[in-house]
Amino acid sequence: MSSHNENTEDKIILGDQEVLKSDLLTLNMGPQHPATHGVLRVEIKTDSEIVVDAIPHLGYLHRCFEKHAENLDYRGVIPFVDRMDYLAAMNMEWGYALTIEKMLGTEVPKRAEYIRVLVAELQRIASHLVFFGTYGIDLGAFTVFLYCFEDREEILRLFEELSGARMLYNYIWIGGVWNDITDDQLARITKFVDRFEVELAKYHSLVGENKIFIGRTANVGVVTAEQALDYGATGPVLRGSGVKWDLRKNRTYGIYDKFDFDVAVGKGEKGTVGDCWDRYHVRIQEMFQSIKIIRQALDGIEEGPVMGKVPKIIKVPAGEIYMRTECPRGELGYHLISDGGKTPYRLKVKSSCFTHVSMLPIMAPGQMVADFVASIGSIDIVLGEVDR
Amino acid sequence: MPNTIQGQIVEFLNKSVPGCNAVINAPIAAVGDSSITVEAANILEVCKALKFSAEFNFNVLQVITGTDYADRIEVSYILASFSKNLELILKAKLPRGDKFNLPKINSVVSVWNAANFQERETYDMIGIEFVGHPDFRRILCPYDWDGHPLRKDYVVQEKYLDMVVDPPGKNNTADQMFGKRLKEEIGDPKRVSASWKDSTAGEEEVAKDGE
Repeated sequence: MSSHNENTEDKIILGDQEVLKSDLLTLNMGPQHPATHGVLRVEIKTDSEIVVDAIPHLGYLHRCFEKHAENLDYRGVIPFVDRMDYLAAMNMEWGYALTIEKMLGTEVPKRAEYIRVLVAELQRIASHLVFFGTYGIDLGAFTVFLYCFEDREEILRLFEELSGARMLYNYIWIGGVWNDITDDQLARITKFVDRFEVELAKYHSLVGENKIFIGRTANVGVVTAEQALDYGATGPVLRGSGVKWDLRKNRTYGIYDKFDFDVAVGKGEKGTVGDCWDRYHVRIQEMFQSIKIIRQALDGIEEGPVMGKVPKIIKVPAGEIYMRTECPRGELGYHLISDGGKTPYRLKVKSSCFTHVSMLPIMAPGQMVADFVASIGSIDIVLGEVDR
Repeated sequence: MPNTIQGQIVEFLNKSVPGCNAVINAPIAAVGDSSITVEAANILEVCKALKFSAEFNFNVLQVITGTDYADRIEVSYILASFSKNLELILKAKLPRGDKFNLPKINSVVSVWNAANFQERETYDMIGIEFVGHPDFRRILCPYDWDGHPLRKDYVVQEKYLDMVVDPPGKNNTADQMFGKRLKEEIGDPKRVSASWKDSTAGEEEVAKDGE
């Protein structure tokens, strides 16, 4: 048996020469990599510069929030909820507060409802601005980051005055909000949205319509509508694929039924429906819609208390509930099982980022490594929410 | 309750998947959601039927999660239909099993790809084996971690890779010290926090019967 003439696994015979068969290169992206937006490790298999496979490894920020929640009273869970998606803590708190209020049958005062809409939509803008800025950096445009963070700073300063913290607020409480908003702060929000609307249009025309940016994002990381539904994608990722689904419209919560706004969907203007540019554009349009909602909330806000009647020691009646809300990154669901005690028996959080990470293996094959960075950026994950 | 949507789903399931024994669990205190329990052995057929039925079309799998009770483990499949705007909590009961003999249930990755990560997380946290999963590993804990943290009887392992888990010297007591100092210096906590000041004066009665 002459093994000399045979092509074995790692050797190929070309003519009379024996050459090494080119193998797939394994590249570890992360956990400390600026383009993975936190501590995500993606194991990429590349054939020269083309990505063949991507395997995400999670858990570097895992704190087992759900176990913590089982040992805390219902109010004490709120600060932990903040630390999941630390870029959109207001939305996280609102979802949790709604879950408990629905079980308790608490009525939230009108003024508190309006304040919740105001802070949630401002938070949505702040969160999308982080996406906008860091996505620019991912693609090599540094300047936009500085502009976005300047505007975000104004929102954070306002939140700091409202709640005492810049990022992890503990502001939306079960039954209402912690502190009232002053007329001066409302006037500042009006001034901010008036200025920001003009600025945002300018940023979009500078970045989104830029030829290099379109070249880097159009037709890259395409997710079809069927794939998005199959993988359970929600939020801007689902809407970027052309599915018109927004919980604020389709399953209204809070007082969103009073507001008039549109749901942005990806239309494939610069390339295919569901590419990175579509997801980017959906977020930009959402910021404009948030401004629209904020203006209506500023008009409609009325005087009154900001805290409803809640017992000092909260005991949720035995039963279960699944409540989902629309957060900047997608749907956030709380599945609460209560046995009638002072602490949750089981609190499961459905994180949208977690499902979006599971879509990386279908986006990656066939891409250049640099385009893969654009794909990760476009699903806008926060690892605090992925790992919880 | 055949008029409610859950009633219709139960009727549909019992007709299309014989032997699945679908029953409604009505909410205990008349608040919250009701759920549907089916036989664990039929879960794959039930999921297929729910997804491909023209009437309900549950096209999105939101979450797979488990809950540990004293005598059983309940797996919850939370499904949603984006075309019919429905939501459903589907449950299956399993024995608790033990460390070497985890409870088994069929994987539904072939129905929704979203189940891939969700089942891995449920295995990691609760300890349920999903039979037929294409890539069955832990996901959040390290791959060689011992135990399943969200079981009620879980005890943290003492050593992981020769490192002491949760060493007492690393416990941060600064918060407790801060609270203790405040109490000594100021006394009444109502004076330092704004949280007690507001319009909840009429709440005292409610608080008394709460505790």
